Amino acid sequence: MNPNKPAQEPGEDPIRAHVFDGIAEYDRRLPNWWLVTLYAGIVFAIIYWMATEHFGRTTNESLVDAEMQRIEAEKLASSASNLDEATLWKMSRNPVFVEAGRATFQSTCASCHNAALTGGIGPSLVDNIWIHGNKPVDVLKTVTDGVAAKGMPAWGPVLGGKKVSEVVAFVLSHQQAP
Amino acid sequence: MSIPAAPRPNRDFVTTIREDGSRLFLHPADVHGRWTSLRRWSGWLLIVVYLALPWIPVGGHPAVFLDVAERRFHLFGFTLAFQDTWLMFFGITGLGFSLFFITSLLGRVWCGWACPQTVFLEHVYRRVERWLEGDAVARRQLDSQPWTASKLIRRGGKQLVFFVISALIAHLFLAYYVSLPELWTMMREAPGQHWSAFVFVFVFTSILYFNFAWFREQLCIVICPYGRLQSVLLDDHSLVIGYDAKRGEPRGKVGTPEAGACIDCNRCVQVCPTGIDIRQGLQIECIACSACIDACDTVMDKVKRPRGLVRYDSPAGFAGERTRWLRPRTVFYAVLLGVGTVVASWALSTVRPANLAITRLVGAPYFVTDEAVRNQFLVRIVNKRDVAARFVITLPGAPDSLVRTGMDGAVELAPLAEEVRPLIVQIPRKNYSGEFALTVRLADEAGTFYLERPVRFVGPDKQLLDEDAKERAAAKLKESQP
Amino acid sequence: MSDRKITIEYNDGIVRQFLLACVLWGAVGMLVGVFVATQLNYWRLNFDLPWLTFGRLRPLHTNAVIFAFVGNMMFAGVYYSTQRLVKARLASNFLSQLHFWGWQLIIVAAAITLPLGFSRGKEYAELIWPINIAVAFIWVVFAVNFFWTLARRQEPALYVAIWFYIGTIITVAMLYIVNHLSIPTSLLHSYPVFGGVQDALVQWWYGHNAVAFFLTTPILGIMYYFVPKAAERPVYSYRLSVIHFWSLVFVYIWAGPHHLLNTALPGWLQALGMSFSLMLWAPSWGGMLNGLLTLRGAWHKLRTDPVLKFFAAAVTFYGMATFEGPLLSIKSVNALGHYTDWIVGHVHAGALGWNGFMAAGMIYWLLPRLWNKPLHSVSLANLHFWVGTFGILLYVAAMWTSGITQGLMLNATTDNGTLLAYPNFLDTLNAIRPMMLFRVLGGGLYLFGWLLLAYNVYRTVRGAKAVNGTIEVFVSNHAAEERLGLGSMILNPPVAFSVLGTVFACAWMFGGDFLKLAGLFGTALVILLAWVHFRTRVSRWAAWYDRLLLNALPFTILTFLAVAAGGMIQIIPTTLVNRASNVEGRRQIPYTPLELAGRDIYIREGCYNCHSQMIRTLVPDVLRYGDYSRLGESIYDYPFQWGSKRTGPDLARVGNKYPNLWHYRHMMDPRDVSPGSNMPNYPWLFTAKTDVDSLPSKLAAQRLLGVPYPEYKTGELSALVAEQEKAIATDLKAAGALVAPDREIVALIAYLQKLGKYEAIAPRLPVAP
Repeated sequence: MNPNKPAQEPGEDPIRAHVFDGIAEYDRRLPNWWLVTLYAGIVFAIIYWMATEHFGRTTNESLVDAEMQRIEAEKLASSASNLDEATLWKMSRNPVFVEAGRATFQSTCASCHNAALTGGIGPSLVDNIWIHGNKPVDVLKTVTDGVAAKGMPAWGPVLGGKKVSEVVAFVLSHQQAP
Repeated sequence: MSIPAAPRPNRDFVTTIREDGSRLFLHPADVHGRWTSLRRWSGWLLIVVYLALPWIPVGGHPAVFLDVAERRFHLFGFTLAFQDTWLMFFGITGLGFSLFFITSLLGRVWCGWACPQTVFLEHVYRRVERWLEGDAVARRQLDSQPWTASKLIRRGGKQLVFFVISALIAHLFLAYYVSLPELWTMMREAPGQHWSAFVFVFVFTSILYFNFAWFREQLCIVICPYGRLQSVLLDDHSLVIGYDAKRGEPRGKVGTPEAGACIDCNRCVQVCPTGIDIRQGLQIECIACSACIDACDTVMDKVKRPRGLVRYDSPAGFAGERTRWLRPRTVFYAVLLGVGTVVASWALSTVRPANLAITRLVGAPYFVTDEAVRNQFLVRIVNKRDVAARFVITLPGAPDSLVRTGMDGAVELAPLAEEVRPLIVQIPRKNYSGEFALTVRLADEAGTFYLERPVRFVGPDKQLLDEDAKERAAAKLKESQP
Repeated sequence: MSDRKITIEYNDGIVRQFLLACVLWGAVGMLVGVFVATQLNYWRLNFDLPWLTFGRLRPLHTNAVIFAFVGNMMFAGVYYSTQRLVKARLASNFLSQLHFWGWQLIIVAAAITLPLGFSRGKEYAELIWPINIAVAFIWVVFAVNFFWTLARRQEPALYVAIWFYIGTIITVAMLYIVNHLSIPTSLLHSYPVFGGVQDALVQWWYGHNAVAFFLTTPILGIMYYFVPKAAERPVYSYRLSVIHFWSLVFVYIWAGPHHLLNTALPGWLQALGMSFSLMLWAPSWGGMLNGLLTLRGAWHKLRTDPVLKFFAAAVTFYGMATFEGPLLSIKSVNALGHYTDWIVGHVHAGALGWNGFMAAGMIYWLLPRLWNKPLHSVSLANLHFWVGTFGILLYVAAMWTSGITQGLMLNATTDNGTLLAYPNFLDTLNAIRPMMLFRVLGGGLYLFGWLLLAYNVYRTVRGAKAVNGTIEVFVSNHAAEERLGLGSMILNPPVAFSVLGTVFACAWMFGGDFLKLAGLFGTALVILLAWVHFRTRVSRWAAWYDRLLLNALPFTILTFLAVAAGGMIQIIPTTLVNRASNVEGRRQIPYTPLELAGRDIYIREGCYNCHSQMIRTLVPDVLRYGDYSRLGESIYDYPFQWGSKRTGPDLARVGNKYPNLWHYRHMMDPRDVSPGSNMPNYPWLFTAKTDVDSLPSKLAAQRLLGVPYPEYKTGELSALVAEQEKAIATDLKAAGALVAPDREIVALIAYLQKLGKYEAIAPRLPVAP
């Protein structure tokens, strides 16, 4: 008897004729559902390539750009539509903004600028000396971006545009409108 | 017209994968008996539990509500903040390890009795199938019929019902993650407004439908790693479902002389939902559902032989030995489970009603002014309780000369709110003699608990500071002398 | 036929050597792993010593586990099974010994150089260039020994395990050599020839396929031999083996870019990486199914036989890891999981579950056969299995929890998506600190299990007599008509259809408008024709394949073609993208000589093990770290430092974010400025002097690579360096910190402050894929 030929009874499953170091191999068909997953993977790859490379109008970059623009717009919108000088002055006379700004100021800014805005670690905000510009937009910029060298942090990323504009309105409410 | 026979399992191959690779769709026969009834009751109980958890309010929130949007988890009246997500670890390992333990004692009891796959398949989908298409013989008959209008309606109807049930389960599953009113709102609005939730439910429904309508036991055989590991974790004294070959063999019809107890009626094969013959021993497919026990017991009752030819027993028990429940392994597992429980409870007890995180304000680590050296921190306080609370920040052990601004008074936080505030500390130049450690302590106003975080007050090299002071003094002197 | 009966004695001595080396290095590699994992939670364990810091030891762990542990295991398994499967003794005793001792010497060299900070700065390819040459040489020795043995085989046909070994040998050689091409600047230092995006692509083509062809295919071959042997069952399906092997070797190689999803890598490569990873699921599971269903017939033996237990669990973990892999390659899942511990968990499910358990099963099976003595203790082996499984459970559960928690926290936003919910990176780190501890526990248990194995090996081997296997074979001449010539190797349906399909698919991918369309239709037509032909002439395909199995050389050539295709199609077009004049409107400003010296310190300390330099095209990344990174912003980075894990924050735009003083304090003790940080201290940077002397040769190498450095006159270079050093030291002094300008910390600060600097250039049209 050939040692490389496995014993095979009639009606049994197909077994390969050759044996390797005692290892025989059946030759079963693959489960169809497994084959389907293989084909589905290939079909998906083709469709995905078509969708992204031929007909795709968006890329990673365009998607993130669009979303960042939305965030930018959202920030602008929440900090009033157009933060020019006049708007900020108008906000500083509106108790809704001023009161909201007061709350943020007391929790966030008072530690350096004093609850009465008279200054401490940071400069006074009720006098007429404006180190980083006296226009309302300058104040807004200072609060948003900070003055790193002196220890004034950028509050824009922490508070968000809405709260920053309210705080600026609160600060301006202590000043004479032009 | 011939009705295809029930499958003839063979120990070498998976019954449900035919030789040409196609799927053999099983139609297990009806079975009645004590285990089946018990399983039906426990199954329904589990279904109710699985589906009701997001509905039952405990302490103002659903019993289980993983609020992803608000980054909070409500578990049986216990609210965890996102920072506590690590406790999920105990859930995962606890579940995994309990199953190790249970497997060593009771075998694959999870698979047959508690796994959602089995529970929903046996008690919901198969019930629907039975109700619409009749028993196993009728279903096989229907299989072999040509596609007539009546078959189309019956089959189509079944699939439709399956799909609806799947959609229902998917929605209820979503309720674990979004609150019920929110879910209801989403369901009434157009899908476009809640695109991600819609896609989630749609995909999940499709997966459930595919799985329960067609894939079924293939999931347990091929996909689920758990079933396999469980089989691997058995030993000679673990409880399994088996066939008492000593009593049963050789098989023979009633009245055959010298025959064992098994009359080779094949009932155990007909009722098996995974298509195996339990008499061929422990196999990968067996989910320990106990259907074959009831089937065999019924037959044994009929032929007036004692029950238990197919029964729950350990491999040792089937070999005629005594099953040892207490073995080094089970004792060790029990000890480990105990240790795990203790550690988990300890970890849960360390969950404080608040969370405190100290970071530095972005920028330089310290500032030197004419008078003082200054450090600037940002304090983040999270109120993890469902009630408003007032917190105070103190600096225990700080030098007297340290001046602190910010967070002087108590901070009031709404329920489950978080707040970020600056904390500025400075020390006069003359008192600065180098860097030192600083402790920031958060306590509630009543003083029921506190949390501490170590930070460091950093500053310039003392020598450089002194030199700078001298230079300044000299400059001042120069100024004052015209 | 003049058959002659001879007796062959197998060379099992070499198997025993590799097996014992595997046990030893496995313990060492795992021990280092447990140690570095502990360092993550207890920074004091870095001991303020350069050669014990995480950044230097983590490469030691990965290299030890991959090349020392799995490498030795693979060689033991390959040598044992190949001799028996081809019925021939290993061709050369000398080459076998050279292979063994050469490999051990490489491991020792790596264990010395890595902690000393000699590194190429590329993951799993850290070893310095002289060692690279040694590795390549020893690999060739292995290949020669293997193929020479095949040439002397008494078994005409090649069994499936041999296919996998062939695939392993040629692919690893190709990957290793390409990814280690370097220009030396000194005996211990070199720069890779690829930079920026090219280097990223080549690195992950290598890194991903190191997993594929070092940790997977040889082990699959071992599975195909040892599992049926141990189970005493026939293999479930031969035709599944065929499809599984060819689809795996062809598809795997393409999937590298899934390590670079959402980065600056061109979109078409990301699309290929993702879709091929998804395609990979079925072939991987084919292997899993074949192993599992082979074991199925012996399922009742699992209860008692630890060998089968290990194999069954290993196959299960292989299935889990190869399911998780494609899942993580989906872009949106990747956005959450990448750079977090989830990936670490994924890798360890494979390494501990698949590699470690296959190794254990194989060793327990081999011991009694190699030393002719029963295993010392079966119950100890069972204990090893339980301890190991429990260890994996703890480890993987901890890493999943940790990764998903941190991923969700990093990506969480408030105020309608405009603000980060956890703007400080440390908040997210401190939330997962407990998980780092549990992972140590899991890893420690796994190591304990391995030590049980080592003890079992010791007790079994002690006093036992080594035996070599023998076999009697009939020597016969191969029938000449079974030889496959060049013509019939290429001109046959399976190969012809595959080649045509690939060519058309390339035309479709890269061609212009018309070619693209033609390629698409051509691909579809070829697939259709192949399918029809296969349906009607299946016996011709099978007969040809049976003939191919008798011919080792054509088989090897075809395997090489299959694995080379993916790499070439991805890498060659990318080498055209990176040149300085183009990309995406931004060009990196080259480092000054001092900054370059600082960069080499950054690489030496292994900072890339915890910090990425790649801001992905994802909103949370942009909100946290700034504008997303462009291709052009790293074109002068040899090697690229995009990183693969963020234990700390991204550094792509850290330049000018903090004052010099901040970095100074941070490197001295990170907790001074970042309370709660787990980063080690780097006190030696404040005393060691910057290596300025090597700059001329480094700059020369960089110039050769195309970085626009001018030729410096005598003295010009040192003046330039001194000037920049002085500026930084002066700034530090003004802020209250005293440091001599020639210290390494100054160079490192110079480098860090340069990160993210670019000049805008007129954008060109992007290169069309």
